[in-house]
Amino acid sequence: MKRPTGQFMGNDEDEMNRILSQADEILPSSGFAASVMDAVRREAAAPPPIPFPWKRALPGLAVGGLMLVLVLRALLVAMAHAVKVTAPQSMSLPSGMPPLFHGGIESAAIWAALALLTALVSVKLTMRLAFSRI
Amino acid sequence: MSATDDQAAVEKVLAGDISAFEGIVRRWQGPLINLAYRFCHDRGRAEEMAQEAFLRAYRALGQWRKDAAFSTWLFALATNLYRSELRRIPPRTVPLDDVAEPADARASDGGLEDHDRDLAVRRAVGALPARYREALTLFYFHEMDVTAAARSLGLPEGTVKARLSRGREILRSKLPQRLAVPRLEEA
Repeated sequence: MKRPTGQFMGNDEDEMNRILSQADEILPSSGFAASVMDAVRREAAAPPPIPFPWKRALPGLAVGGLMLVLVLRALLVAMAHAVKVTAPQSMSLPSGMPPLFHGGIESAAIWAALALLTALVSVKLTMRLAFSRI
Repeated sequence: MSATDDQAAVEKVLAGDISAFEGIVRRWQGPLINLAYRFCHDRGRAEEMAQEAFLRAYRALGQWRKDAAFSTWLFALATNLYRSELRRIPPRTVPLDDVAEPADARASDGGLEDHDRDLAVRRAVGALPARYREALTLFYFHEMDVTAAARSLGLPEGTVKARLSRGREILRSKLPQRLAVPRLEEA
């Protein structure tokens, strides 16, 4: 029997296992460990990461949260108003709502846009404050 | 250095003795560089990736829960890093369809040299889709231990077995002549 060179004999999976198990091994270069330890020492000597400036961000977050609540409330009112317009005159706005919320869906959209703008400004401001300390 | 030495070194490092990390580096530099090399086939890049793996291991040393061996944790961390590095900058590979296939490997007298065939099979593995290539790479790196490969990849064993099987199927379909069981000729 003759085994043609370059061809798999017997179970091809065994041959595949044999080929792929014989991967080339490389040795680490002589300065590798020292280089890693230098990097580790630099890492250890580096100051700890600056914590997030919660004290500065908190007012902005509080205002943002308040705005979100107001916008949601305005949206609810606008929806109730829309229902009132289409349905018989059986519903009325809550008595505690400020007059600005009585303008219908357009007013709610303006409030939503204002809230988004405020959120954007507060995020930008917070990031600027945070990065200016690095 | 044994597994208990690893644990002792980790405890020293966590207590503030940074130099104890050198023992870990010296013990695991070979395996980590070779694992990286199997992924990228570039010596320089393999060392860079292994260095980054050690740095990340140093940063995350406190997260090693001792329910698994240190090596298992280290290989999983390194594998995760290597995979994301190679997704970011993929290594140069020959497309699977371009891996040389002889017109008729059995026709010529003597056929292809074993070396060429082995090289073609390895190149074909390198050209496999990442999920199959990674499963095969880890399987053979861990000396055909599916459990160890699955731990390194952070996948269930069944998934790894399925990927190994599918990867081999693709290799057989793309290299039909090289992976075919030849007809035996009478001497």
